[in-house]
Amino acid sequence: MSLYEKIKTIYPSLTDKDFSPIRGKILLQNDSDGKGDYIAKWEHPTLARPTDEELA
Amino acid sequence: MASINIAGDTSGSISLTVPSVAGTNTVTIPANSGVVMVSGNMPAFSAYSNNTQNVSSNVLTKIAINTKVFDTNTNFDATTNYRFTPTVAGYYQVNGALNFSVSSGQSAATIVVYKNGSAVNYGNYVTGSYAAILNISLILYLNGSTDYIEIYGQLGGTGPQFIAGSNATYFQAAMIRGS
Repeated sequence: MSLYEKIKTIYPSLTDKDFSPIRGKILLQNDSDGKGDYIAKWEHPTLARPTDEELA
Repeated sequence: MASINIAGDTSGSISLTVPSVAGTNTVTIPANSGVVMVSGNMPAFSAYSNNTQNVSSNVLTKIAINTKVFDTNTNFDATTNYRFTPTVAGYYQVNGALNFSVSSGQSAATIVVYKNGSAVNYGNYVTGSYAAILNISLILYLNGSTDYIEIYGQLGGTGPQFIAGSNATYFQAAMIRGS
């Protein structure tokens, strides 16, 4: 399961707009360096950033 | 029309000395602290992706631009970081393109240029397409030492891919003016 899918499982109310790099409140990023996807920005006004345990 | 021909020595180099007082010159050469920009010292590169890249949905992902067409000043890293770090300060024209496809559920796609690790300009933003080419074009200043630029893309849907190809997924920059 990808990072995006894990977050969607935790917060089903999130939509793709929330992940838009232009106006979204959440930015997932991958720098193509072999380290994989990560949360680069979490500025959602009501939903807390998932913990590492929740995303494991 | 009159012309002046200057013959170089056997090395092909010619040195011009700027007079210390005002004369009747009709061509202005920058002050002696400046650098005359000629094609030989204005960095330019063009590179593309030659490997289709499987990426995660809704994740802004650096495009692995891994094949150079040209790189006049060896300033583009096509093996590790896929970034352009010019060693001459000035203003650069930057172009990028991303050919993408998704298998289903496409929601949105966009292309972004990053400067020093942060988004600086966004290009095309399309919705509802299963395959398209996104473009971006901008002019920005790079300091010639630490500044670098990279190119990222984000796709929605399932099975998102950055499609390889010299004519569709590429990254280019060329100096257009000194600082």
